[in-house]
Amino acid sequence: MITLCDVWYRAGGNQILSEVNLSVESGESICLIGPSGAGKSTLLRLINMSILPTRGSVHVDCHDSRDMTASEIPILRRKLGFIFQDFKLLDDRDVYENVAFALWATGVRRSRIKKRVFQVLAEVGLSHKRYAMISELSGGEQQRVAIARALANEPFVLLADEPTGNLDPDTTREILDLVRRINGKGTAVLMATHKEDLVQNLPSRIVKIDNGRVTE
Amino acid sequence: MSLNLIYSVREGLLSLRRSRLATLWTLSTITITLTIFGVFLVLTFNIRSMIDKVRQQILLEVFIDNSLPTKDIENLQEEINSRSGVQETTFISKDAALARFKTEWGDDPLEVLDENPLPMSFEIRIAPSQRSENQIQDLVRSIEQLPGVDEVVYRGGIFKLVNTYGRYIYLADGVLLFLVLTSALFLVSNTLRLTILSQHKNIQIMRLVGATRTFIRRPYLVVGLLQGASGGILASVLVWVVFKLIRLRFPVHFIIPAPVIIAPILLGILLSFWGSQISVKRFLTDI
Repeated sequence: MITLCDVWYRAGGNQILSEVNLSVESGESICLIGPSGAGKSTLLRLINMSILPTRGSVHVDCHDSRDMTASEIPILRRKLGFIFQDFKLLDDRDVYENVAFALWATGVRRSRIKKRVFQVLAEVGLSHKRYAMISELSGGEQQRVAIARALANEPFVLLADEPTGNLDPDTTREILDLVRRINGKGTAVLMATHKEDLVQNLPSRIVKIDNGRVTE
Repeated sequence: MSLNLIYSVREGLLSLRRSRLATLWTLSTITITLTIFGVFLVLTFNIRSMIDKVRQQILLEVFIDNSLPTKDIENLQEEINSRSGVQETTFISKDAALARFKTEWGDDPLEVLDENPLPMSFEIRIAPSQRSENQIQDLVRSIEQLPGVDEVVYRGGIFKLVNTYGRYIYLADGVLLFLVLTSALFLVSNTLRLTILSQHKNIQIMRLVGATRTFIRRPYLVVGLLQGASGGILASVLVWVVFKLIRLRFPVHFIIPAPVIIAPILLGILLSFWGSQISVKRFLTDI
């Protein structure tokens, strides 16, 4: 489903990733552990094809980084869900609009949008706050909105870049539970974090990364 | 209307409302730039039509022998008409010359003289393509040699002036027009870039969720079109007001033709469309 084969990435004179080999199977859950600056986010960006490897190849579904065209990238991204530490939500819109935005942007029909938004908001437990503005929500709730948006297009994998970095321990647990439930429903999860203790109780494969290399 | 188009228009309008300050700034810049362009265009049009009018008035006066019989006058006229550079000849009889004198000077020569002293003449209008100084001098010489012609009068002073300075005026005009247009494009595309920059988070998220470049770009083109058209309309109104005020205060009558008043609107739409397309394209490759 996702395969990184001998991936090297260099930017601004720095070697960010070296000789990375990794595969993510359908429905699998992987935690990518490593200190800040180890190359975790870069690895996720390579899967998202925001950047392309300097050497090696990234294969996602039927897309290959070696022959990827600009017009193919949006098609690939519709199959991926991405969440971040800073949520990346539109502060001037309400919860419903933030989730619907992902569907509008990918040309989904209006009748389908409404149904799907209600569905994913129910999934993340935010149906009752669908018309709340983003600024009225707590950090945990904002991350739930981001997760709902990531799930809106029914991705086969959820890429999470330090999703609990801005959250307190209780909210972190809630978000991790939610991610586990999503994985339980068949969506693969690739989560990057620097907090090793966080993933002890998760039924995930642990991949450690340090100084741009996968160590175990 | 397709869903995507509805979305683009809605998002375009929303982004105008959300970034009010940037919108106001962009609109003001477009309006001021296009007003300068419009004023310049009206001035250009009026200067050019003044030069053309002066050129239209360039005439040769051919005075002919008073004793020439009618048949010979007709032959002479045909002969003059056949010369290269002659666009039109008008015969001015002695009576017509007298009537014109009376109108222009207010005096009647017959009150002091026994007979009409004014000679018969032809007024020659020169073809626009043959109005260079050399061509006119050649024509004067060739008509002077015709039998029955007493004198050819060419009032070349003003014509020389128009011909010499007209060329410089046109050149300066072209350079200024180019400068105004270039700065208009620069200003409009940069101010539109401000609007688009204020929406960078939306663009980033749209790219993240898999929106195509066309889809991302379209609302900003709508924004560009709306701002360009509004700025253009405001500029046209301002241009009209400026020349109305000039007319009220000074005894100068500027002609404001319809195409010149529509030009800022069309240019506004064109520049904004182009400017926003360039800005958003550049921005899409930036992030």
